[in-house]
Amino acid sequence: MLVSIYRTTKFAAQTFYRNLWLSVITIFILILTLFTVSLVATMNLLADRAISAVEEKIDVDIYFADNTSEENIIAAQMFLEDVPEVKNVRYVSKDEALEKFKDSHADNVDIQNALEELDENPLPASLIVQANELSDYEVIMQQFNNSEFDIFTEEKNFSDQQAVIDKLSAITTRVYQVGVAVSAVFIVISVVMMFNTIRLAIYAHREELAIMKLVGATNAFIRAPFILEGAFYAVLSSAIAMSLLWLVVLFTAPYVNDFFFGYNFNLDVFFYNNFLFIFSIQFLFSLILSVGSSMISIGRYLRV
Amino acid sequence: MIHLKKVNKRYSDNTYAARNMSLHITSGEFVSIVGQSGTGKTTLVKMLIAEERLSSGIIEIGNWDITNIKHSEIPVLRRQVGVVFQDYKLLPKKTVYENIAFALEVCGVKQGNIDMIVPQVLKVVGLEEKHDKFPQQLSGGQKQRVAIGRALVHRPKVLVADEPTGNLDTINAQEIIDLLLKINALGTTVLLVTHNKDIVNRLRKRVIAVDDGVIVSDQKTGKYII
Ligand SMILES: Nc1ncnc2c1ncn2[C@@H]1O[C@H](COP(=O)(O)OP(=O)(O)OP(=O)(O)O)[C@@H](O)[C@H]1O
Ligand SMILES: [Mg+2]
Repeated sequence: MLVSIYRTTKFAAQTFYRNLWLSVITIFILILTLFTVSLVATMNLLADRAISAVEEKIDVDIYFADNTSEENIIAAQMFLEDVPEVKNVRYVSKDEALEKFKDSHADNVDIQNALEELDENPLPASLIVQANELSDYEVIMQQFNNSEFDIFTEEKNFSDQQAVIDKLSAITTRVYQVGVAVSAVFIVISVVMMFNTIRLAIYAHREELAIMKLVGATNAFIRAPFILEGAFYAVLSSAIAMSLLWLVVLFTAPYVNDFFFGYNFNLDVFFYNNFLFIFSIQFLFSLILSVGSSMISIGRYLRV
Repeated sequence: MIHLKKVNKRYSDNTYAARNMSLHITSGEFVSIVGQSGTGKTTLVKMLIAEERLSSGIIEIGNWDITNIKHSEIPVLRRQVGVVFQDYKLLPKKTVYENIAFALEVCGVKQGNIDMIVPQVLKVVGLEEKHDKFPQQLSGGQKQRVAIGRALVHRPKVLVADEPTGNLDTINAQEIIDLLLKINALGTTVLLVTHNKDIVNRLRKRVIAVDDGVIVSDQKTGKYII
């Protein structure tokens, strides 16, 4: 068993070196394929995150008239919390609103001074409503408008980011489609390359293979080196593609993380946490690709 | 040991290489198969190691019906029937030693056993001195010996030599025949395919004559009659 593995490996290594140039190109194509596929997958992931990040930002602010009693606002909050489509409702009192406003304009002296001069707090109390789904806002607002609490409201501000989301979705879908198409092309190229590389390896060894058969080598023994070669291509290409991906993550992570600031998403952390998973997927993918095409080639050209 | 019953072989282009061939060779025999070029001698050899399938009939080797042998069983058959091919089939980039060792390596034999068997075989075929030479550095007779050596590594029950004296002068040819006789004396059934009249006549062993795929004579201590 061990001796067979050793001889098979030797034979496979020989074919690799004898056709070094072709082997290198094959690996290169495999790497490109893996890299493209992972890039498309990464972009898809980022787009998903971006969309849900924007969705997170969407809410409806219901501002109450100054003379509304706190009991009424709390009652309105309770009413809204009972609506099944509502995810959460937050009450921002007049004081809290003022604090926030002051905080967010802390370095603007003019505003600070203007606020000092006012006796009264000019900011209204409000309820911030978040829905489970983007499409739920309409239903929620309808229910609220028909309720007894509507009369207390001064203004309803629906921070409408649906347009942004639609645009983002459209772009990411487009990018994804192009990515999938490019990946498909690369996959086809690498299958053809791999198929051809093994075919040439078989051709280069045809004399040896014929004699192997005639002196009683088993089919498994004759096929094994070519399958092993496919596996070897898979290991090498997925390792290199993974390193490339790591480099890309390393260089883009600062920008991506900036974009997702405050959203609990970290590209590099995500990459490191899922390193094994991504690597396994890449390895399996290239293994299926290269061993699969080797098998087809063997079936076609190595009549044993 | 070898049993053919009404074997027919028709190639896809309708040439008949065997017609209604029946013969029986017992264990330990030395049999010459003679016939002119293109009469189907090599085809018979190929059918014995399942390199070609028969069109009809039955072939048995040591009570094993190999007529419809499974793919997975062919290696087993080929280790029992050693063949010296008409065109040697040696690997040019391997030395004498490596060419013989190759047949063992590809069958998964342990290195320790290879190191033991190959020198023995080299001794039998008389090539100890030439073990590190490449095929192109050898004479025709020496190449033939390498091919015989390689056919012997699995200690086959049957050794088939297809035209082993084809390109050799009389003295070299006789040496090869002597080697085959020696192998036969050690207990291996030997099938010698040839069209060399002198050799067959001198051997005084069983001769089977084939003409156009048909066995035309089978004599116990025969002469070349065609
Ligand atoms: N693969 C093949 N396809 C078609 N016809 C073949 C094939 N191999 C051999 N033949 C034909 O079968 C016949 C027998 O061929 P074979 O090689 O068995 O002859 P042979 O007796 O060994 O001749 P020689 O003494 O020249 O080696 C010939 O007519 C040959 O043309
Ligand atoms: Mg012949």
